[in-house]
Amino acid sequence: MTFLATITANIQRKRLNSYRHYMVRRRLLGLLTHVILLVCGVLWMYPFLWTLGSSFKSIDGFFNEGLNIFPKEFEWSNYVQAWNEASFGQFFFNTVFVTVLTVICTLLFASMAGYVLARKSFPGKKYFIGLIAITLFLPHGYTILPVFDIVQRLGLLNTLWSIILVQTAGGMVFSTFLFMGYFTAIDRELDDAARVDGANFHQLFWRVLFPLSGPMLATVALFTFIGTWNSFLIPLVFTLGQPQLQTLAVGMFAFIGQNSTQWTYLCAGSVITLAPIMLVFILLQRYFINGIAGAIKS
Amino acid sequence: MQLSTMAKKPELSPEQRKTVKKARLWQQIRANGWSYVYLAPMALLLLVFIIYPLFASLGYTLYQWNGIGDPSNFVGLANFVRVLHDGIFWEAFLHTFIYTLVLVPVQLLLALALALILNNPKMRFSTFYRSVYFIPVVTSAAVIGIVVRLILTNFGDNVNQLLLNLHLIHSHIDWLADPHFALGIIIIVGIWNTLGYNLVYFLAGLQTIPTELYEAAELDGAGPIARFFYIVVPMLRSVGLIILILAILGSLQVFDLVQVLTAGGPYFSTEVVNTYIYHQAFGGFSSTVTQPDIGLASASSFFYGLILIVLSFIQVLIFRYSASRRAEQRLA
Repeated sequence: MTFLATITANIQRKRLNSYRHYMVRRRLLGLLTHVILLVCGVLWMYPFLWTLGSSFKSIDGFFNEGLNIFPKEFEWSNYVQAWNEASFGQFFFNTVFVTVLTVICTLLFASMAGYVLARKSFPGKKYFIGLIAITLFLPHGYTILPVFDIVQRLGLLNTLWSIILVQTAGGMVFSTFLFMGYFTAIDRELDDAARVDGANFHQLFWRVLFPLSGPMLATVALFTFIGTWNSFLIPLVFTLGQPQLQTLAVGMFAFIGQNSTQWTYLCAGSVITLAPIMLVFILLQRYFINGIAGAIKS
Repeated sequence: MQLSTMAKKPELSPEQRKTVKKARLWQQIRANGWSYVYLAPMALLLLVFIIYPLFASLGYTLYQWNGIGDPSNFVGLANFVRVLHDGIFWEAFLHTFIYTLVLVPVQLLLALALALILNNPKMRFSTFYRSVYFIPVVTSAAVIGIVVRLILTNFGDNVNQLLLNLHLIHSHIDWLADPHFALGIIIIVGIWNTLGYNLVYFLAGLQTIPTELYEAAELDGAGPIARFFYIVVPMLRSVGLIILILAILGSLQVFDLVQVLTAGGPYFSTEVVNTYIYHQAFGGFSSTVTQPDIGLASASSFFYGLILIVLSFIQVLIFRYSASRRAEQRLA
């Protein structure tokens, strides 16, 4: 009874408030929300803005202007120096090579596996799906030592291929699951129609299902791209003591150990490392965020 | 199908049945040859780099081995005993625990608050704000480590100067080199770094709540606070639980951030379990460990892995439980 009474009281109070008064208050509240979100957003992005600004500062400017985002004088040569002398150019190409090949391998292998797991029935399929479901729940990152040993035995230590292989394997289960789910959701009548038209096992995949999986290809590519580009432990372990093979993440980290004074180069290097990721994320964020949101919903 | 054909041939002895079954299985395997070929690359990578290492690392735990040549010095369970008696391991365990205990609630509350604000359909630029708060997630830990170190380091007009001017501190503090502050800084950076994930998770969860519910509640005179406690909280319970578990498991496995910010120092004050394992296996950047000790590293990683597997198992149970509850709710 008291609950009902409060509700009616509330309604009456609301009616008493004039509509205009209500709107003004709402507008002000909305404006305040935006101000808070913007100020916090600038603070949130501050480390990036500072890095971008500092990458153009001279060494003197770096020390005198401290926390300032905007440099007083622009020193473009930081980028040239970082690219050539601090070998960020080399690191950049290593990273691009590793990332591109990892993305391609992941897309190919995961989509092929996802196709047969979603569409074909063969002995052992159930056990296999069970096995990969278990590995999905197991904690990762505890097996770096035996992986290191295998890579050594394969003679791949201190090659970029080792990073590509291990990185591809690491994302394989999750990507396969995504493709499996995606192909399962496509109507099976499509397969029958294709078969009537004379499509065989291979054509059904390469000509029909693979081209249809555009959004999932984009999602998996983006996840793999970001994960590989930023990966730290795996390239660190497999390129220990091989500076010419290092990726941006590892190379930058090694640079800070060797040259403790060239901070502005380091900032330029950070921008070189961040720019491609930010660009790709901003352009394709829809796929990334949908992928993450989809993972939590299912 | 197999059952019905077998039922038609009752005259076969069990052994004969077995051979028939075997022949059939072989036939089926051959008929599906291409399926196996398509599966092969993925299965091979999985076997070699994920499943085999799980068992292999178990083998290493029984040897005293510095990683050069083959392990030969069999020591039985001595490595496990050493881990259990190693003060630094337990310190690392404690730091990981503190990291998780502080990071998870703060990060989840912030993310939920932000998600509630951005979920408002009348909110303008909400995609823009979402991107801004999400961006640290896609940033490499190496860059974060370097930038944070540069901003905090003691030179020029930096954070210390700002805080001195604001009279918040009385003297310069070397944030990451001071055992009192280093872990705190790592936690703050950690909250900043991965908040975006939880923001997107919560937004996805909030979007499953039908807007009619809010409208009905508003008509009934429920204010924002009442709407939060009577609609959002009960509707988000199952998704929220999953988010919580993922956040806990994620922070218990923190490595990159600590490695690039402090590498476990100063004086092991920020050593977490994963950096401890790394330092045992590959030697330290700044710590005193130099001789690789693969056996000890494997034993500690296996021991910690077991703890995480138990946690993951609880996670699966909770997933199941919440799924069945959701199904019940749908039926009710």
